[in-house]
Amino acid sequence: MSVHLHTQRADPAPPPHRPGRRRSRPTSRLWSQLDLKAAPYFLISPYFVLFAIFGLFPLVFTLWVSLQDYGLAGGDATFTGLENYSKLLADADFWNAVVNTVGIFVLATVPQLVLALLLANALNKRLRGRLFFRLGVLLPLVTSVVAVAIVFTQLYGRDFGLFNWLLGHVGVDHNIDWQSSKWSSWTAIATMVDWRWTGYNAIIYLAGMQTIPRDLYEAASIDGASPRKQFWSITLPMIRPTIIFTVFVSTIGGLTLFAEPVMFASNRMDGGTTGQFQTIAMYIVEQGFRNFDYGYAAAAAWLLFLLILLGVGINYTFVRRIGGSR
Amino acid sequence: MIKNMRRGRMLAVASVMTAALGVTAACSSGDTSGSTGSSSSSSAAPAEKITLTLQTFGGGTNFGYKAAVEKWNADHPNVQVKYNNLTDSFENVYWPQMLQWLQSGTGAGDVVGIDEGGMGLAKARPQFFTDLGQYGLQSRQSDFPAWKWENGINTEGKLFALGTDVGGMSICYRSDLFKKAGLPTDRDEVSKLWGGGWDAFVKAGQDFQAKVKDAKFVDSINTIYNVVLSQESAKNGNVTYFDKNQQLIVDKNPAVKSAFDFSEKISKAGLTAKMQNFTDPWNTGFVKSQFATLGCPGWMLGVVSGTAGDKFKGKWDVATVPGGGGNWGGSWLAVPKQSKHPKEAAELASYLTSPEAQLLAFKEGGNLPSTIPAQDNPDLQSATNEYFGNAPIGKIFGPSIKSLQPTFLGEKHAQVKREVEQVLTGMDQGSVPYDQAWQKFVEAGQKAAG
Amino acid sequence: MTTITQVAPVRRPKDRGRRDPFRATPLTKIALGITVLLSIFPLYWMVIIASRTNSDAVEVPPPLLPGGNLGENVQRVLNTEDAHFVTGLVNSLIVTTTVTISVVIISTFAGFAFARLRFRGRNLLLGSILITMMVPLQQMGIVPLYQLMVSLGWVGTLKAVILPYLLNGFGVFMMTQYTDQAVPEELVEAARVDGASTMRIWWNVILPAVRPGMAVLALQTFMLNWNEFMWPMIVLTPENPTVQVSISFLTAAHTTDYVLIFTGTALSVLPLIVVFVAFGRQIVGGLMEGAVKA
Repeated sequence: MSVHLHTQRADPAPPPHRPGRRRSRPTSRLWSQLDLKAAPYFLISPYFVLFAIFGLFPLVFTLWVSLQDYGLAGGDATFTGLENYSKLLADADFWNAVVNTVGIFVLATVPQLVLALLLANALNKRLRGRLFFRLGVLLPLVTSVVAVAIVFTQLYGRDFGLFNWLLGHVGVDHNIDWQSSKWSSWTAIATMVDWRWTGYNAIIYLAGMQTIPRDLYEAASIDGASPRKQFWSITLPMIRPTIIFTVFVSTIGGLTLFAEPVMFASNRMDGGTTGQFQTIAMYIVEQGFRNFDYGYAAAAAWLLFLLILLGVGINYTFVRRIGGSR
Repeated sequence: MIKNMRRGRMLAVASVMTAALGVTAACSSGDTSGSTGSSSSSSAAPAEKITLTLQTFGGGTNFGYKAAVEKWNADHPNVQVKYNNLTDSFENVYWPQMLQWLQSGTGAGDVVGIDEGGMGLAKARPQFFTDLGQYGLQSRQSDFPAWKWENGINTEGKLFALGTDVGGMSICYRSDLFKKAGLPTDRDEVSKLWGGGWDAFVKAGQDFQAKVKDAKFVDSINTIYNVVLSQESAKNGNVTYFDKNQQLIVDKNPAVKSAFDFSEKISKAGLTAKMQNFTDPWNTGFVKSQFATLGCPGWMLGVVSGTAGDKFKGKWDVATVPGGGGNWGGSWLAVPKQSKHPKEAAELASYLTSPEAQLLAFKEGGNLPSTIPAQDNPDLQSATNEYFGNAPIGKIFGPSIKSLQPTFLGEKHAQVKREVEQVLTGMDQGSVPYDQAWQKFVEAGQKAAG
Repeated sequence: MTTITQVAPVRRPKDRGRRDPFRATPLTKIALGITVLLSIFPLYWMVIIASRTNSDAVEVPPPLLPGGNLGENVQRVLNTEDAHFVTGLVNSLIVTTTVTISVVIISTFAGFAFARLRFRGRNLLLGSILITMMVPLQQMGIVPLYQLMVSLGWVGTLKAVILPYLLNGFGVFMMTQYTDQAVPEELVEAARVDGASTMRIWWNVILPAVRPGMAVLALQTFMLNWNEFMWPMIVLTPENPTVQVSISFLTAAHTTDYVLIFTGTALSVLPLIVVFVAFGRQIVGGLMEGAVKA
């Protein structure tokens, strides 16, 4: 998906005015003038009314709320300026949530996108039952996050989970308590994310790959380039816009991760005994809807937004360089 | 907050928008299903059939109200009760959600259960609950011991909650596993085994662990911690995390430190199953025989029988607790202001806390009655519990419950409890090193009290 | 805009004998087969547990074949009054359908305006949509949105989970791109010259041309909305949940009953699997088309 606008089409010459073929009753002309001027705004108004109420208002109001200190559950609010932000920046638990979120994001996204690329490359081959394979890899996407998390949490059970049982067969003789440490809980959550999204990204990459003219590959073949070389020097650079798109989407999804770790923590917001896998979204809900510190939660929400902007920016510059050297 | 926003205009905009989008039909059907929940018909005449929602928490048989509610429903064809036990976790799930619903004005049932840990805050928020005095429930005062009654009076001096049960204390144990470990199995002998106090209990645990490998001696660090804390606080002015002026004393109260130290000891001795109570693995632990003992206040008997199920009937038994009496838990029922049928709800709350219903709950789940007439009832004194090998629970709990000392719990007790117990569990499971645990424990408490 | 160049993998005779870069090696086939198996396994596992008993669910070694208790377990879920599971399913259908239809209409409207009409502020407004696509509104605005719902008295009602989701910047963006490449500018001009009003053009010219795009947007919106969890969990109550919220309350209230939870989960996934199987070709096609066209 290339994210660029048709700015070139913004102000072309006005449409040729051919009054001869218009019905020329004055009311009608007035009406059609009005139609021409007002109709576009009418058409976009539903979106922008919704945007004002459910987009702009929450953003601005979050800022206002973040400047207040709320008493516990029904207590009074007092204006405290930037105090929530300074407290938050010094709050080890908040940073812990940031580290967890970024950690899980990296642990989930990097293998996921690499796997998706390989998968797309495989799906791009000539195959019998193409649709079957494509549907097969896309199936996890339609499974709800909650369902995925419930199933995986059970599979990751310490004493009776399937994964520990399988690991037992390959020489891991003690049962891993997946929730209890950072690396194990991150891995478990990352697999949930990857299971659901790898196939989706592969299909998106596949779409990108199919727009690459096949002559390129044939020419490369004739020149004796190996499939691996072709993948690196043709496929990857050609689908760079698609990769940017998926990185963009995964970044937003990864930094707002919520359902998987919550279900993994049996509906709790604290993400394990020492917050091993508490994400920022969980932290926001914990502060806002468990401790009822709305102001603090709102401040955390703003910092999350900044983090997303930062994340998208970093990823964008990073990915732009992928395949840059052809 | 948003009250100075032009609510009317917002509504108008929203409804015009909704209509324009052709979603009116769906929204209005949303409305209808929205109000079927806690009350079927607010505008209907009182004689018409109404439904009250009773919301509780707890594992196993939780409040033990199944029989009592069935009886009420049979006696009140026009006021039917729906009994919803929402979750087994009070501090982590039930109470925060309940507070959110109480604040928003929607979601809370007509009668809701509140654990002792939530009462400090509930008392300080009179705006959330109906004044039960206006429905004549002051008359119930004589039924209750003074402390149980007074804890149901809010900061405005109004009666808002009626007591259900009290905690008491015992130790539940698996006699079959004890037999496997070569320990005595008879409840009197088991009581004698650790009659010397907690050190004897640890000694018994070590003997047990030497023989049995596939099960641990105690279920979870935070169960045993709460048992000891309840005993220790009785020796230290009946306070735990907060003193009676709502000041945090988690770092100063010797009761907390002793309970912590003992928990650390039992964890280091390798006697715990490294679980946290009221979680999935803990519940599974009952079914898969992963531990042999746990601290049992009266209400815990129902948790054990309800969670372990019939397969383990007769294998669990009850012995006295080492280290003297204590009180862990015990709850109240209140009627949220948002109830559309406060009068009927108040009646229901009164019925469920009546001596009669408390005895039904005692029979069903072992929840110890808080009313004096029920405590004095000869049936209670002579009661046995079939699930626990016909243990004479009336004899085990009876003498202690009348002399129970009320523990003072601060407004933010539930939050502090939630956080410090996470550190305990982390220490037990290895994510918090033992030498840092106490410091982390105190810090977590201070942060939660914020 | 790039359009999909459907290069059918036809092998030309002259390629024969030369090394074909698009040949699927056995390794490729095996890898794909394993991937599909891994994709299906958790769903299969859900069915295994949902068709067994609670003691099977914690057996070691774990059961690997379905049992015979599925019907009974489904009955149990439907009879578990406090889960409000059926209410949840119906609510989810209402919410998802309403949101889907509305988003598609709103997006088609705006997409038409942005792609084919000229008006002051067009670029600025379109740009603002792109920016809002980057803001995780459901997380960012969770506190004020919640307070808004409280003050409107909408907590616990379906309105609270319908209206915020009508705001869908991606939909507008996608329909703008789609309209731009599916509707020739001349067509709109010709209709205009014939004296058709803007709304008439929308109805007679735009709608027929962008129908495939609308279908793709509808399917995507439906799937995403069906699975929405965080906001509904906060703003709805156990009495009137969506299906995901109902499952979450089911897990909280019946912690010991794995089988009940898994059966409920399986039932919650079922409608989407049905949609997926029925429209699989269109979903894959639409997703791929959307990926390169938008």
